[in-house]
Amino acid sequence: MPMKGRFPVRRTLRYLSQGDVVFKSAVKVMTVNYNTAGELSEGARKFVFFNIPQIQYKNPWVQIMLFRNMTPSPFLRFYLDNGEQVLVDVEDKTNKEITAHIKKILGKSKETLEKEERERKKLSHPATFGHKKYHLRECMCEIEGQVPCPAFVPLPKEMRGKYKAAMKNEA
Amino acid sequence: PGWFPRVVPARGRKSRHDPPAKSKAGRLKLPPPVDPEELLVVLERYRQHRLVLGALRAEFRAEVLQKKREERLGREDSAELLEEHRRLMAWNDEENARQRARRSERLRKEAEEEKRRKLEVMEKQAKKMEAFMKEKEKEVLQLQEEAKSFITPENLDARIEECLDNPRNYNFAIDKDGRVVKRTVLS
Repeated sequence: MPMKGRFPVRRTLRYLSQGDVVFKSAVKVMTVNYNTAGELSEGARKFVFFNIPQIQYKNPWVQIMLFRNMTPSPFLRFYLDNGEQVLVDVEDKTNKEITAHIKKILGKSKETLEKEERERKKLSHPATFGHKKYHLRECMCEIEGQVPCPAFVPLPKEMRGKYKAAMKNEA
Repeated sequence: PGWFPRVVPARGRKSRHDPPAKSKAGRLKLPPPVDPEELLVVLERYRQHRLVLGALRAEFRAEVLQKKREERLGREDSAELLEEHRRLMAWNDEENARQRARRSERLRKEAEEEKRRKLEVMEKQAKKMEAFMKEKEKEVLQLQEEAKSFITPENLDARIEECLDNPRNYNFAIDKDGRVVKRTVLS
C-alpha cells in the first residue's frame, strides 16, 4: 500500500495524537486567511500544512475553514459561542510560535486536561472484566494470579467434575 | 375470547408432522378460569403501580440530566474563568499591537529604501545626460575649429595655388618603430 501525499507522516495516528492544542468548549469556528506565495505567509503556510491536522484531530467538533489569497497579510480568526471574535495576526511568525500563541489564549490548560482525564478514568474500574468494549479483560482467566484458561492449560484432576463424580461414585 | 380447545401440541420433542400421543386422544385444553372482579381489581392495581414507577423513573432521569448539564455549563460561567479569558484577550490584543508596530516599521523602512533607490537612479540618469551633453558640446567646438580651415568658394583659388606651390612627397618607407627610413627624391 503506497504512502499518500508529500509528508505521509501527517496521516499517522501517532503524529496526530502528539498535537497538544485542545480548544476550550467556547470555541466553535476557526478561520485561517493566508497566501500561497510570499515570505511573510511562510509561517502560516507551514501551520496549515503541519499543525491543522493535529488540531482537528484533537477538536473534532470545531469547524476549520481556510481562505487563500484573499487578504494581503495572513491572520487567524476564532468565533466563540457568545458571538465574540478573536483576531490573531500571524504575519512574520513561525508555525511553532503560532501554535504556542493559540494554545495560550484559547487552549485548555494542562491542569484542566488532567482533571478531565481523571474524571473519565473514574467512570470505569480497571479491575472488572467483561466485553472488550467496556473492560480491559474479557475472562477471569486473563487476570494475573488466577487459574489459567483450561483451553491452554488443562485443569488439575481434582477440579474437574468428571473426577469428582467418579470419586463420589466410588465412595 | 379466541380460546378454543386445541388438540395439536404447541411445542416439545415432536415436530409438527408427528401425530399426538394416544393418551392425549380425549384431552380438552381450556384456558385457566378467571374471576372478572378480581381481574378488574388486579389490572387497576397494576396500572397504578406502573404509572407511579414510570413517573418516578422519569423524575430521576430528568434530575440526573439536569445535574450533568448544570455541571457542564456551570463551570464556564464562574467569575475567575471570565477574568482569565479577559486577561488572555488583552494579552492577545497587545501581541497584535506589537505585530502592527513591527509591520509599520518594516513598511516604513521599505518605503525609505524605495525612495533612496529612486533618487540614486535619477542621479545616475542626470549624470549620464550631463556627460552626453558635454561630449556633444566638445564635438561642436571641434567642428567650429575645423571650420576655420575649410575650403570655401572664396579661397578656392588661393588654396589651389598654395597646393601647387608646395608639392608634398608621400613616397617614403617606414620601419617597425614608425620612423622614416628612406625617402625618394621628388623630381
